[in-house]
Amino acid sequence: MTAEEMGKVSKRLRATFAIASVAFVAVLAVSPVKDYFQEWKRHEKDYVRYAQTRPDTKHLLADFHSGIDQIWLPDMKVVDRCTTCHQGITQASLGDSSVPQPFRAHPVIPHPVKEWGCVVCHRGQGPATEVAEAHETTLAWEQPILPTKYIQASCGSCHRGDIPQTPQLNRGRQLLSELNCAGCHRMQEIQRPAMLGPDLSNVGNKVTREWIYKWLKEPHIVVDASGNTVVDGYQTEEEPRMPQFRLTDQEITALSAYLSSLKSHPFESYKFDPRVLASLEKRPDLAELGQERFRQMFCTTCHSLAVTRGDETKLIGGDIGPELTKVASKVNPDWLITWLRDPQSYLSHALMPRYQWSDEDLYKVTQYINEKLTDPDLLSNVPQLETPTPEDIQLGQRLFLEKGCGSCHVIEGVSPQKDFGPDLSSLGGKNVSQLEFGSAKFPRNIVSYIQAKITDPLSVNTAARMPQYRLTPADLDAITTALLSMTGNPSSSGLERLIVPRPRPGFRAAGAFGEVYERYKCYVCHRFNGYGGTLAPDLSFEGSRARRQWTIDFMKNPQTLRPTLIFRMPQFNMTDQEAATIADYLGMASQSQFVNVAGGNLKQFAPEMAAMGKQLYEVKYQCQACHTIGSSGGYVGPNLSNAGNWLNASWIEQWLKNPQALVPGAIEPRRTFTSEEIQALTAYVLTLKQSGQPKAAISGAAVTGGAK
Amino acid sequence: MNWRALILVFAISAMATLQACREKAAIATTNPLLKAYDVEQDANDPQRVIPLNYQQAQGKRVFNNTCVWCHAEATPAGPSNRSNVTPTPPLFTDGETLNPLTDEFLQNTITLGGSAMGKSTMMPPWGQTISEDEIRSVIAYIRAVAQPPYQPTARPASQYPVK
Ligand code: HEC
Ligand code: HEM
Repeated sequence: MTAEEMGKVSKRLRATFAIASVAFVAVLAVSPVKDYFQEWKRHEKDYVRYAQTRPDTKHLLADFHSGIDQIWLPDMKVVDRCTTCHQGITQASLGDSSVPQPFRAHPVIPHPVKEWGCVVCHRGQGPATEVAEAHETTLAWEQPILPTKYIQASCGSCHRGDIPQTPQLNRGRQLLSELNCAGCHRMQEIQRPAMLGPDLSNVGNKVTREWIYKWLKEPHIVVDASGNTVVDGYQTEEEPRMPQFRLTDQEITALSAYLSSLKSHPFESYKFDPRVLASLEKRPDLAELGQERFRQMFCTTCHSLAVTRGDETKLIGGDIGPELTKVASKVNPDWLITWLRDPQSYLSHALMPRYQWSDEDLYKVTQYINEKLTDPDLLSNVPQLETPTPEDIQLGQRLFLEKGCGSCHVIEGVSPQKDFGPDLSSLGGKNVSQLEFGSAKFPRNIVSYIQAKITDPLSVNTAARMPQYRLTPADLDAITTALLSMTGNPSSSGLERLIVPRPRPGFRAAGAFGEVYERYKCYVCHRFNGYGGTLAPDLSFEGSRARRQWTIDFMKNPQTLRPTLIFRMPQFNMTDQEAATIADYLGMASQSQFVNVAGGNLKQFAPEMAAMGKQLYEVKYQCQACHTIGSSGGYVGPNLSNAGNWLNASWIEQWLKNPQALVPGAIEPRRTFTSEEIQALTAYVLTLKQSGQPKAAISGAAVTGGAK
Repeated sequence: MNWRALILVFAISAMATLQACREKAAIATTNPLLKAYDVEQDANDPQRVIPLNYQQAQGKRVFNNTCVWCHAEATPAGPSNRSNVTPTPPLFTDGETLNPLTDEFLQNTITLGGSAMGKSTMMPPWGQTISEDEIRSVIAYIRAVAQPPYQPTARPASQYPVK
């Protein structure tokens, strides 16, 4: 190589080297420049600028720190840098909704942000420092922010029992158990009841094959006189018990053949006393008499009927038992009588109380049902079904298991498939990549996934066996919230320690009372020491509240006491013996520690005291705003017309001192009475007596006056 | 030249990887109701749904437990107790009556009762029955559902207690 050539090469080399160095510096500069333009730095600057427009600039800027801000809670595995941008989150003065995001303060909740971080409730990626990465899903980071609409789910991950602050979550949990989701799915904290749908071992004795066909074919529909659909049990939750399955006509034919062939325990038809029959049979108003009894016994506390007023038809009554508008076109009349006399002999887990029936009442009521609660056209659109063939029966039996019917219904000798649906107990905590979207067309996130699975299972999986549910948007959101709350076992020991378990109260009534309690199923409506229904008042302290004789009278002839409660206590036709057993048991066991019943009732009050009490009641405190005496007053609290016979003196005293100490959550406002005022008011309330038992309030909607 | 092609391939694949990392699952963030803790259906206008924040939602709960009986037309038990009370209590959505009253006045009326503020005794005192925070949240709720809508007069009051 010549020197000239060498010079050329080195020149070229030098040029290359120069370019490479410039490129190198440029590449090196990318990092600090990029850092300078970081998103969070822009937010920081914006925050400082915003703080300068506020009246409390000094205070805001004193709390401001530049740089990545982080809440680090190693115990709970929380590394949250959200406060880097959400600068004002703990600044009390930035709480108003006019403050622009991301600077607005967090609303005051029971858990301070500094102790909990953000991601524990809101999800998203705590360590991320870019808006998109923190809030959304990327391939690297999987948990998007939970929309605030479903935020109560996060409360539920730790608060396994219901708390008043989370109505949407509580409603969702209630729906999950009412809709019997636990029949097929395992769920966190929602246990599968012993039996969900009725036992079908003997269903062929109860209903016809045609009725079964219709039930499987057509959603539970109530139609009014002119043929318009009033209630479609699958559109609303009014008859939510059995969901709608996708069955072909052939499958329904086979299932109806199989089920109608199940007649394992035949029953005898009941023989009425011939004298009763003779006296009633010819009466033209038999059905009306039966209807009267039906109303007086308050069957509608648990069962509803379609009632037409004007041109509007709706279901009126409770939803503990099935709707009865057309029940006589459904069941065999002999079965009906057997059922009414002893429901548990047909279904051991039935919630229906075993009423005491006189032959007369039983005959009247069944005649009413058979005559009035029927619809001759009910089965008119069911095709002609022959006597079931053995092939049909066999196919039906196979379908019964394949379709999952066995998850909710028992048939003697048929063992169901275990765990028919997938386990949902940790669904709420799953990452997007853990969900099977199939060919679904909706956005890939867990909320859309859950909602599609419920409203249109086939859109996710074309072979889904899951029935389709139609829910109102609010209920769908409630169920979604409840499912999102099921995040399984917490991811860190710190969180595990914070779990508030669901209380599992139990109440066992022993002895003679136990029998009455089981017979009349008190726990379906009333609560005893935290166990039982919420339809009717809590009876845990009833013995301290009510006098023995009053309790006996009330059991025999229940009346409207608390007009704010929509439902009325049924009349069970109890015997005197049973009523006394209840009164004695409540008097002994349902006592509040604050009330000394025996001591209080011995006290004598001077008439002047009562007069002073009346003055306080009517003028100074104006209790008539909420309580009725006689025919005037409000109906927020119970009717006090007969309070002197009803309430124990020391209960009234304690109640006036502090109602919420006796009944947590009672609506009555607590006041600061002097002890003299309490004595006077007690004396007055004790003078309020009604002579003779007024007839039980007949009208179900007795909301305005109380006892009539 | 071979190495140029190599660099090209390398650059393209690097860009593709970067792009893939940026790809996000869509989450709908446009609907304001998604950001609400709870919602309230406007009784007069079925089209209008009012979003409630946490505090307002707690107020709604307290209201429906305690105040609804006298301050609403429809109650959980059906008809209202309003007609049994004199003077007739204002409806909770009645902005004409409630908007001009300050938060402080409402707080006092609810805590101490009507008689303490020169109003009717039929408005009971709730100060010992529900907490100060709960009363504050009821006020926030009443403000949220007021018709005509409530316009805060001065600088927006904080929802935090004044220290
Ligand atoms: C027993 C029925 C009753 C109940 C329950 C009740 N109030 Fe009232 N309230 C009234 C009456 C009556 C008035 C009218 C007072 C007047 O105008 O003299 C009233 C007035 C008011 C006012 C307006 C005061 C004014 O200056 O016009 C507010 C605010 C109020 N109530 C809030 C509440 C809240 C909050 C609750 C629940 C914690 C509640 N009320 C529960 C009867 C009731
Ligand atoms: C000083 C006036 C008042 C007196 C003397 C009084 C008396 C009583 C008594 C003795 C009871 C006990 C009944 C029972 O144990 O169920 C009671 C219950 C009740 N009172 Fe009052 N009361 C007064 C004011 C009010 C007011 C103003 C309200 C409504 C704002 C109210 C709402 C209630 C309610 C809702 C209950 C039933 C509680 C429950 O069923 O759990 N009371 N009252």
